[in-house]
Amino acid sequence: MSLIEVKDLTVRYGEIEALRGVSFCVEKGQIVTLLGSNGAGKSTTLRAISGLNRPHSGSIVFDGQSIVGLGPEAIARLGIAQVPEGRRLFPGLTVLENIMLGASNRKASSAAIRREAEGMFELFPDIRPFVNSLAWTLSGGQQQMVAVARGLMAKPRLLLLDEPSLGLAPVIVQAVFRIIEEIRKRETTVLLVEQNARMALKVADWGYVLETGRLALGGAPKTLWSDARIRDAYLGGSQTKASA
Amino acid sequence: MGSVLQLLFTGLGIGAVYALVALGFVLIFRATNVVNFAQGEFSMVAAYLMVVFAVDLGWPYWLSFLLSLGGMAILGAIFNLGVYYPLRNRSFLPVIISTIGASIFLANTVLALYGPQPQVLPGWFDAPGIQLGQVYLDSQYLLIIAVTILLVAFQYWFFEHTLLGKKLQATSQDKEMAALLGIPVATMIMITFVYSAVLGGIAGILVAPVLFVSIQMGSTIALKAFAATIIGGFGDVAGAIVGGLALGIIETFGAAYISVPFKDAFAFLVLILFLAFRPQGLFGERVAEKA
Amino acid sequence: MSVARATRTAASGLSRSAVGHAVYAMLAVAAVVATATVRTDGYVANILMQAVTYAIAVFGLSVVLGLCGQINLAQAAFFALGAYAVALGTVDYDIPFFICLIAGMAIAFTSGGLLGLSTLRLGGHYLAMVTISFQQILTVVLINGIQLTHGPDGVGSIKRPDLFASSQAYLALAVAVLAVAGYLVWRVADTRLGRAMRAVRDNEIAASAAGIDVYRTKVVAFAICAMLGGLGGGLFAGGFTYVSPDQFAFSDSIVLLTMALLGGIASPVGSAIGTGLLILIPECLRFLKSVPGLYLAIYGLAVILIVVFMSDGIWGFIARIFRRPATVSPAPARPLVLRPADSGAAAALEVRGLAKYFGGLRAADGVDLTVRRGGVHALIGPNGSGKTTMLNVISGLYRPTAGRIIVDGVDVTALSAHRRTIAGLGRTFQNIRLFRSMTALENVVIGAERDGNTQVANDHVALEERAQAALDFVGLGERSSDLVRSFSYGHQRLVEIARALAGNPTVLLLDEPAAGLNSSEKKHLHDLLDRIAAQGLTILIIDHDMTLVAGVARHLTVLNFGRRIADGDTLDVLRNPDVAAAYLGAE
Repeated sequence: MSLIEVKDLTVRYGEIEALRGVSFCVEKGQIVTLLGSNGAGKSTTLRAISGLNRPHSGSIVFDGQSIVGLGPEAIARLGIAQVPEGRRLFPGLTVLENIMLGASNRKASSAAIRREAEGMFELFPDIRPFVNSLAWTLSGGQQQMVAVARGLMAKPRLLLLDEPSLGLAPVIVQAVFRIIEEIRKRETTVLLVEQNARMALKVADWGYVLETGRLALGGAPKTLWSDARIRDAYLGGSQTKASA
Repeated sequence: MGSVLQLLFTGLGIGAVYALVALGFVLIFRATNVVNFAQGEFSMVAAYLMVVFAVDLGWPYWLSFLLSLGGMAILGAIFNLGVYYPLRNRSFLPVIISTIGASIFLANTVLALYGPQPQVLPGWFDAPGIQLGQVYLDSQYLLIIAVTILLVAFQYWFFEHTLLGKKLQATSQDKEMAALLGIPVATMIMITFVYSAVLGGIAGILVAPVLFVSIQMGSTIALKAFAATIIGGFGDVAGAIVGGLALGIIETFGAAYISVPFKDAFAFLVLILFLAFRPQGLFGERVAEKA
Repeated sequence: MSVARATRTAASGLSRSAVGHAVYAMLAVAAVVATATVRTDGYVANILMQAVTYAIAVFGLSVVLGLCGQINLAQAAFFALGAYAVALGTVDYDIPFFICLIAGMAIAFTSGGLLGLSTLRLGGHYLAMVTISFQQILTVVLINGIQLTHGPDGVGSIKRPDLFASSQAYLALAVAVLAVAGYLVWRVADTRLGRAMRAVRDNEIAASAAGIDVYRTKVVAFAICAMLGGLGGGLFAGGFTYVSPDQFAFSDSIVLLTMALLGGIASPVGSAIGTGLLILIPECLRFLKSVPGLYLAIYGLAVILIVVFMSDGIWGFIARIFRRPATVSPAPARPLVLRPADSGAAAALEVRGLAKYFGGLRAADGVDLTVRRGGVHALIGPNGSGKTTMLNVISGLYRPTAGRIIVDGVDVTALSAHRRTIAGLGRTFQNIRLFRSMTALENVVIGAERDGNTQVANDHVALEERAQAALDFVGLGERSSDLVRSFSYGHQRLVEIARALAGNPTVLLLDEPAAGLNSSEKKHLHDLLDRIAAQGLTILIIDHDMTLVAGVARHLTVLNFGRRIADGDTLDVLRNPDVAAAYLGAE
């Protein structure tokens, strides 16, 4: 049984159909990536899974349990954590405080949480110097690491990453993706939404491509990458014409 | 010089009360983006509760104090559920009007139940004040300043050094993100309202022995508290405290050197001037730039 | 706060018709005559007097809050200014009544304007606080400024004008004034100022982009509200011949506000209903006043309940039930003429070294962009590359950190958003920003009536013709009288484009016009863009739909990380490996 299975998911914003009948699944321990250009519906998918947007129709089954209709707090407690687009660290709190709040989905003592946060700095040594700095003072790449650390603090069974490479310089993006590989080693299942198809397909076990709310392609990373249609999804039909 | 110090002391005392009310008001604003025009009524209701328990029923002061604060906690919860919650997704205008309605409702319900006659609430201590050189330190004012310092210290510890305090801060900074982490947002908001009501209540009970306990005391204090938050910088916690103290001092000196009857008008004049020329107050508010 | 949208359609249809005018005139005359002749006892006359003068003040609220969406919690203070002007003027200085009345209105108007000037830039709760403060200051002054105001004793023996000395005649005068004021408030919604106010209420940013000076509109609305308050107060003073400070307290401002809310703030009819009810009901339930506080406590509760459950008020509720079907037959319009200005400068739009930093984030970092006159130029790039930031800086929503923006040879960098529209910039928004309480035609008329529009005369008929032509041009001519709320997403997009076109822009900025459209709507959009370009207009478009972009745009500029990485002919740019790398990920 897949860890999470999405079937015929349709999500509407008012009368716009952001997702139309999307179906896919993620196996335990995998990194699955959802690709597509802006506006394709990638973030919408994650928001629906996290309970921020109620789907119009379709089902989302997590570890055998339907989670459609549950609120975000309940879904977080079930073990789904999201690192949202744009990081969204709490600007007025320090790096340590942000990370500690990642454990809010479970009961644990303050001391235990602090110890676990310490453990995060092992995984993200670059942010250790900033442990007591206010989150908003960090650079984009540093904030991304804090955001991922915060997500991991929830000890999630499924980690949703929304465009971790957004706005980051290529060198930093490489560092972030190295961390994603580390996460897989820790046996956390990851659903990675990305615009940067190249980097995403390098770490993923499986990939899907969304195009205007529908699933256009799905397959093993190497297959997807060499498929000309993936370029069409981003750059329009001109790519196939150009390479023809 | 003695009189200046005396005015300073009195100004600080009354300013501390404004600071407490301003604090409760800023907390609600940061958590919910609501400007609670009924904040002053929390102070007024608490003062009347004290009168009922300590004066009418003659119960011990400390017991009456605890019961009054308990009543305020309940009022804060009801306020959250009845006034804020139904309108939480609407624009600011209905919410403002609704809190104004609540303020009038509270003030006039107390009036209907208790009558228009101002009441007298004795201070906690019968002890006279301390004479320090040329300055007479009234015992109630000393109590006000002491309690305010304690509360501010408590609040600082609570928000900066407890996990719950951090969760409350997180909720006020980004509700959606807090929910994504599993923080129970509705509970956090409830705690904020209850805490603010209790804070306002403490302010009311502290200041009541100095003024009369009257129906109008709430709105006067609230407006001064608003002025305080604007002076300090709207939305800023430290600003609320500094603004409150500053306003108390300005007002006291204004009454002494310019005119007593018009002293109430000073707060409002200062408010308008700040809004016109320095709306971000002394400490400024981090305003989002995106359109 | 939602407002009676339906009322406006019904009312504006009505107001234009001769029938509507005639009915109003007849009712007004009948009311005045009835008041002048029918004898009523003193008690009833007093109630009527209070109702009439309060209603005038509530009309003021219907303008500032109902039409313009700005809060005013000091209406009783402006009422007091008018009342005391008449009281002190006639009693202390022996100035004739009508001069005092006008003076009172002028004082109220000026103080309303000054108050508005000081804080309407901030709006919202700041405005609420300032108005409360003003109210409180005035109360303090009235009570304590005994030399001037007679203090708490008040002012008695106020002299009425000789012609209206009798209570009956005076009441008839008040009713006549009420009728005139009501008429003006009713009609103002359809004037340019009224439309500007409604636009500001519905969507400030869109109003600004359509060329409206938002700040000035708010200040004017505020001043008008204050003036009407002063008028009501002046009449009040003459009617009761006695005023005292406790009649004009903050609670009275709330009473006036509740009257407005109850009846329905968007229309004078609602105001009248609300005032009437809230004066009559308490009179019937006079026992409530015997317990001090009970009356106002119920008022407070009523305010909360009305806001939560009945935000359109009674009239809004009624209007929604009896909404007249949209009456159409707009005049057959001549085809839309787009004649963009051409100063001879080589580029229609030029951007030099544009930078926009948000703290440490460099959303746009030294971008140069030249948009040649005529034709479509597209600005593309992956998510977060800075495209929307660029558009927002160009149109004036953000201030640039550095750089210059030149429209048709004129440097507009220092101009505010609405001034840039006047200079020839038009734009649409990614999240559609229409004026939701209005019809399609009204939305587009607002675009047409921007200052400096050379293609249309400034009279109502011409404006509507142009608006109709614009709607025809985008294919929505038949639905011009429908409320935009009822339009599909794709059609709302088209109305936005029509609104921008009606203003005859030199450069049209389109922010993700294809977002949310299905494929047939996108085809229609493609076709529309071609037709617009054919008329010589210059278009700068941002979008993610590459098929559309490649189809319409001759010229592409690509951004990544806030910098320009490619610029040139569409096909060349799309084949550029740097561009593919930017989207799909670098090597």
